[in-house]
Amino acid sequence: MKPRSLQQAFTGFGFIGLWIIGLGVFTVYPVLASLYYSFCDYSILQKPVWIGWENYHNLVRDDLFWKSLWNTLFFAAFSVPLGLVVSLALALLLNCEVRGRAIFRTLFFLPSIVPIVASSMLWLWIFNGEHGILNYALTPVFQLWGGMPPAWLGDPAWAKPALILMSLWGVGNSMIIYLAGLQGVPKELYESATIDGAGAWSRFWNITLPMISPVIYFNLVMGIIGALQVFTQAFIMAGGPAGNPSRSTLFYSLYLFSTAFYDLRMGYASAMAWILFLIIALLTWLATRAAGRNIHYSN
Amino acid sequence: MLPVYAALIAGAVLFSFPLLWLVLTALKPIEQTMVFPPQFVPKAYYAEVEGRKVEVVLGPKVEEPSSWGEVIAGPQAGSRVLVSPDAKADPNFRWIKDVPAGWRVVTERGEKLSAPGSGAADVVPPEAIESRVKLRWGNFPTALAMMGGRSLEELEGTAPSVNSGEDARAGFPLFLANTVIVCVLGVLGAVFANAIIAYGFARLRWPGRDALFAVTIATMMIPAAVLMVPLYGVFKSLGWIGTLLPLWAPAWFGSAFNIFLLRQFFRTLPEDISEAARIDGCSEWRIFWNIILPLSTPALAVVALFHFLFAWNDFMGPLMYLTNKRSFTLALALQEYQSQHTGVQWQYLMAASAVTILPIIVLFFFAQKTFIRGIATTGGKG
Amino acid sequence: MKRRTFLKGSLGAALALSSPLLSGCRKATSDGRIHVTYWEKWGGNEAPAMRAVVDQFNASQDRITVDFLSVSQIDRKVTIAIAGGDPPDIAGLWSYNLAALADMDAILPLGEFMAAEGVSREEWLQRYTSGLTPLFRYHGEVFGLPSTPFASALHWNKTMFRQAGLDPEWPPGTVEELDEMARQLTRKDPHTGQLSQLGFLPSEPGYWTWAFGPWFGAPLFNAAGAVNLAHAPGQLAAMRWVRQYTEEFGLDATRRFTSGFSGASTQQSPFLTGKIAMMFQGPWINRSIRLYAPGLDYGVSPWPHVPGTNPAPFVTVDSDAVAICRGSRHPEAAWEFIKFLSSSNPAAETESDLRGMETVCFLQEKPSPLRVWSPYFTNHHPNPYVGKFREFMASPNATTTPVVGIWQEYARELEHATNDVRLLKATPEEALNYAQQRVQRSWVRHQKSMERQAGAAAKV
Repeated sequence: MKPRSLQQAFTGFGFIGLWIIGLGVFTVYPVLASLYYSFCDYSILQKPVWIGWENYHNLVRDDLFWKSLWNTLFFAAFSVPLGLVVSLALALLLNCEVRGRAIFRTLFFLPSIVPIVASSMLWLWIFNGEHGILNYALTPVFQLWGGMPPAWLGDPAWAKPALILMSLWGVGNSMIIYLAGLQGVPKELYESATIDGAGAWSRFWNITLPMISPVIYFNLVMGIIGALQVFTQAFIMAGGPAGNPSRSTLFYSLYLFSTAFYDLRMGYASAMAWILFLIIALLTWLATRAAGRNIHYSN
Repeated sequence: MLPVYAALIAGAVLFSFPLLWLVLTALKPIEQTMVFPPQFVPKAYYAEVEGRKVEVVLGPKVEEPSSWGEVIAGPQAGSRVLVSPDAKADPNFRWIKDVPAGWRVVTERGEKLSAPGSGAADVVPPEAIESRVKLRWGNFPTALAMMGGRSLEELEGTAPSVNSGEDARAGFPLFLANTVIVCVLGVLGAVFANAIIAYGFARLRWPGRDALFAVTIATMMIPAAVLMVPLYGVFKSLGWIGTLLPLWAPAWFGSAFNIFLLRQFFRTLPEDISEAARIDGCSEWRIFWNIILPLSTPALAVVALFHFLFAWNDFMGPLMYLTNKRSFTLALALQEYQSQHTGVQWQYLMAASAVTILPIIVLFFFAQKTFIRGIATTGGKG
Repeated sequence: MKRRTFLKGSLGAALALSSPLLSGCRKATSDGRIHVTYWEKWGGNEAPAMRAVVDQFNASQDRITVDFLSVSQIDRKVTIAIAGGDPPDIAGLWSYNLAALADMDAILPLGEFMAAEGVSREEWLQRYTSGLTPLFRYHGEVFGLPSTPFASALHWNKTMFRQAGLDPEWPPGTVEELDEMARQLTRKDPHTGQLSQLGFLPSEPGYWTWAFGPWFGAPLFNAAGAVNLAHAPGQLAAMRWVRQYTEEFGLDATRRFTSGFSGASTQQSPFLTGKIAMMFQGPWINRSIRLYAPGLDYGVSPWPHVPGTNPAPFVTVDSDAVAICRGSRHPEAAWEFIKFLSSSNPAAETESDLRGMETVCFLQEKPSPLRVWSPYFTNHHPNPYVGKFREFMASPNATTTPVVGIWQEYARELEHATNDVRLLKATPEEALNYAQQRVQRSWVRHQKSMERQAGAAAKV
């Protein structure tokens, strides 16, 4: 190597050194170790014992694994699309020339930065079956059909919908991203379309959506990754990792966490983690493929 | 435009009501949190009891004029009851006085109508009750003390403290200090480490740079769950479990997302300024420190803000690593408080929650622009 | 280990400057005493009872101070703290946690400490009432000792019996009588069909659903050591009995009736409010009765007899337990406290004479696990039925939870199955088959894992 490039390498690695340690200790080693543990009987208090595919073999026969996967996919299947629609709708409203836009934007955005622990407490109170404000508001609605509002977090059929509803309160983040995307759409496009006689719907469908498709894709992927790892709100609102009531909120991360840290079955939990990894990778790939045909990149 | 405003206002009401409800609940006395229909504004009630106007708590409503007296026989003997006036003839009942229809009230001294020996056998007609808005700010200190593991009885002075030793002294101030330490040290680490690393990726040329950068980006795909178990082992072997270190120290070694963010920004700065400095004989470090960093404050602010938000809100990390109470952060302390008091004191839980939210809201109002810009960039360039 | 040294070297060096400042490391104690950390699961009004013993111990000598901390969800927190190498010294658990933690190698065997006192494990266990000792024997070792014990018994409300025209001094002697009396004690609103009072409900308070099968004559593990749910007639009979209550009183009606109930020992406990006339309960309910329903006229008796099973009185016996965590910095000092807790003053004549075990049991209104009771404890106990509980704990038909490492999982599955049957979501056969399959699989896996760990340890 020439002295100059050697020096460049030295300087480069000098700047990058921290990251090489960080990458090694906090990412590469854990990834490899996790893969190894997933083939082991490992409790952290004792040494890992190699058991081949047994963890994976047991996983596919474990009803709770499937149940937690189902709960998680159910949650994701509703919270992600609903979140996309609600945040896009809010962004479209804010993108109109309205007075007090900054105030509205603040009100919509603020809930998304509220600490999840605190917002879980708040929604626990709102969803409370007996004294909750939500059921007070909904009672007249349900009475139209002669029914009573559900007990939400106390009812296996309504606990997941409750958490989905709660997740919509935190869409402010993706709303801001949409808003930035919408503001990047050139005004001339709308003007010329209006001249051509296109209605509001047609402008939205033919101009807005294609122009912000990269942003939709970004929010979709982020939404999927986030929803598949849902943990804190379920942990707090169900009072622990059991997924009460009746395992209806036993999400994948919850089952994984309790397997690892309460049962100390770290090997089994590692196998679960790798399956989650594969599922996330698969869904992201599917989203990318679906998007590949439909995304419009300007620039 | 009218439908747009209508939709915006409806949305604003739906999005802001939960936080408003949190604050309103936090400022109520307990009995007003559990009335049906709900009472929106915290109030205080005043009535004339024994010739004095005092603040009272509304008990159940008495629909008809009744008699108040004591049961003198049977298993309920000694208890005081409110019965229909005909029961006066019952030999097991000792009549004390007649009361009108209205609200049963309890005075602040907590004397309950049913308590033996209580003189507060008061039913006040609705029109004789005055109400005024009164915010119970006192709920906040109580909630924070309870978050530190103190019981209500202990705070009222009717029971001694249960916990002892160092952990018993850990309370809200320590939890707040822990949270601030995690946030501040984490933010410092995130800003400096990522800036240094991103500079290496953005503005220096060295063998393997692009490959390593590709690896860096790829690591963003890895879900936290995969790293969780081995990281616990790493921190354990370092002796860091039960300390704050696992929550902030890793930030000093960079994170893929922030490296990416800052690298993008550094690349937008013209190469000429570095070249000029190099010709003047500046070292790379000087260029980085004296020239590039000052130009990059907007991007660094985004990194700092995001890390602060992440560290303040983090729950799973503290749940795993903070095994003793002295090391609790606010998020974990709030959850611990809630799990110890599964039940009914919603006003305290809401007050404690409000306190953990407040700094984030304040931060938002000071750094609104940075927030919005930061989020917009991460999404737009993603 | 090489990997660990590497990690310690590189990261430790990088943070050598900051870590002592910010890691919240333990300060040396200033009072010169050894400080032992004790986490206890109790909160509310039960914690002060144990704190009183801690204070006695701290005052009884000048070498060791026990620092007491009430901790919620303790079994989980202790596990994670032990796994992370930062545990408390002593953990106040439930006896059913011991086997699981012992299997994880997370708590210390106490046999050595006993040997140092010159006492064998069995000799030590002889101090306790016979019904209790099976909970503390595991693979020939002792991993924890009792703090407060309790037996479950049928509590019945004598006033409600009188109102229903039943003899208040005659609790049900058999299951048939229980069912019949439950019918007679139940009140329904003739117009709306809503329940206003129930005689008995198997799901209230729901602490002992695991014992229904053994009560009906089917132990939870069969003679061959396999999970005994699906093909055991007793289990099936118990599940049918549970289902029969829902069928008789109506799913919606019972659900609506029970929705307002809260914890069994709080003010809203249906037994305290006179909503349910008969309930399985433990001795602690006496305190709640004194506080929230003074004057409630009640009696206690063993679980009603199931025809064809052991004729001796059936009760369940449980215990709270204290154990020393692996990684404890002062195991020997921790043992000193446990030893103190296991003792009493057999000559106590006044309340202030009470020591150790009798103090905490007295304050929690429970029986003492020790065979020998002091005169004051026996004669002035706040629970009028403490003598009966003492008898129950010594019954030859006293049933305990099986001491196995997968007990929590077993109990979880069984509870799930019982709930499904109660809510008519599954037939007794379906629910038991499902639970059998899950628990048995987990049991096999657990045993295999134990063998493997033992094998790996033997190689080293």
